[in-house]
Amino acid sequence: MSGEILGAWIAVFLTLAIFSYLYKDNAFYKIAEHIFVGISAGYWTSMFFWTQIQPNLFGRLWPSKQYDADSFWYGIYDALSWINTSIFPAGGIDKGHEMHLIYLLPFALGIMMLLSVFDKLSWFARWGIAYTVGMAAGLRAYGYLNSNVIAQVRNSTLNFSDPDLPFFALIGNSYFNSILLLVGTISGLLYFYFSKEQKGVFGKVARVGIYFLMVSFGASFGFAVMGRISLLIGRFVDLITYNDAYYHHATIWVLILMVLALGYSAFKEKGSPKPS
Amino acid sequence: MNGILNFISRIGQLDRRWIFLIIALVVLIPLFFPLGLPIRATESTRLVWETVENLEPESKVLLSLEYGPSTKPELHPMVFALVRHLLKNDHKIYMTCLWPDGQFMAEDLIEKVIELEFPDKSYGEDYVLLGFRPGGEAVIKGIVSNIRKLYTVDARNLSVDEIPMMEAVNQFKDFDFLFSASAGFPGTVEWVQYASDPTGVPMSTGTTSIQVNEVMPYVQGGQVKGILAGMPGAAEYEALIGVPGIGTSGMDAQSIAHVVIVLFIIFGNVAYFVERKKAKKY
Repeated sequence: MSGEILGAWIAVFLTLAIFSYLYKDNAFYKIAEHIFVGISAGYWTSMFFWTQIQPNLFGRLWPSKQYDADSFWYGIYDALSWINTSIFPAGGIDKGHEMHLIYLLPFALGIMMLLSVFDKLSWFARWGIAYTVGMAAGLRAYGYLNSNVIAQVRNSTLNFSDPDLPFFALIGNSYFNSILLLVGTISGLLYFYFSKEQKGVFGKVARVGIYFLMVSFGASFGFAVMGRISLLIGRFVDLITYNDAYYHHATIWVLILMVLALGYSAFKEKGSPKPS
Repeated sequence: MNGILNFISRIGQLDRRWIFLIIALVVLIPLFFPLGLPIRATESTRLVWETVENLEPESKVLLSLEYGPSTKPELHPMVFALVRHLLKNDHKIYMTCLWPDGQFMAEDLIEKVIELEFPDKSYGEDYVLLGFRPGGEAVIKGIVSNIRKLYTVDARNLSVDEIPMMEAVNQFKDFDFLFSASAGFPGTVEWVQYASDPTGVPMSTGTTSIQVNEVMPYVQGGQVKGILAGMPGAAEYEALIGVPGIGTSGMDAQSIAHVVIVLFIIFGNVAYFVERKKAKKY
């Protein structure tokens, strides 16, 4: 219970510390920023190790199912187990895997990536990066082509043979909406065609494309504002919750202390001579 | 006339900190004194609701949580509402996380909604948290081809083979519906590209507001069955299932803040033109 209250006080302090940046850059903001970066890095590293590297990599290299204390391979494991039993528990790793020595390959590539910290061996990292880039490019090429190009073209095709299609509809399919989509797509694409000077009829069509892009940017801006306000509401709801007597009025106390500290700092700053 | 122009010009030079303060107040006041503004479901929200409503009883639903505390106010309310709807209709929920923080969100969801409001539903039979696996789209590909190879144990370290509801679940095609609660990459776009489109398993999504423009073409093209767009989407879904929640309570503040921001934009533009006119004059 006391842990929950302490957690609330920390959450209030960090929230108000980040908000204090709206007044100006200050020590509270810097503290919150550094804590965030440090904890994020530590958390991600730990999470990745314990959810992927330990169970899915080491778990496939030394599974408990095929544990043989006399074999050379498990001899290496036992040596590692002697160093750290939480990563390499005695008797092999029990995560339901069979042994797959092919996983030595990603293991080696991973170690090669880490070698980038040494200047003389940094070239090893290129192999790992090359594999990652190649794999990601191949994986994404199909997905984009299928879902973003072919499916989008197919789904936006105007079906003139459909007698039920209305001429105009605010939402859903209609002749008007489909034509608008067609004009927007073509003019938008033409705006990004730079091999011909944008003047005359071509320039006018490209200009229509700009208007469509502006509408799109406007919609994006509107959604961005909506998202940010939602996040602000979320923080305010938490601050209101943590101001409850159960949490010893954490919000109001932290706010008062922070305002006093910032006020004192501003007062001192005002009194001190400006750096030349 | 000159007095008004000078006033507008002065407003245009207002210290931005006053604007922050005004926004803070207009968000804060409705949280203390709710106005109860009406909430009407948009077509895209209604489509999500209808898709869930039309699922056969005891359908297998894959719920993927791709968000963390930074976007919790937008996505958590909609996931709460969706899970209430799914469990009320007796569907089986399989939770996966493409983001590490997603696992915390899922655990919070289990604690605050499932265990509290649906005590008759049991872990492993009605819902399961498979947990987080790193790898982004590679994880999605893994779920599509062989989910058991990727998840040998769940988030509670239980062997997947011993979980009753995992029986006959080997690949993505074995699910009847996918809902992706997404705050970015990897998220909804990747689920469409690598899972839903290639297999034909229907999917809906709930995204942060900022992602809506990116995902909307898939919704309009029919590749995604509806979208819950940020906090308003959550509030609309809560209205549709008849259980007001966190989304609904934030909507008054959201609406008033929008009106004030629009006023600021208008004032800012008018002040800009007045300033420009003045500069030309002198």
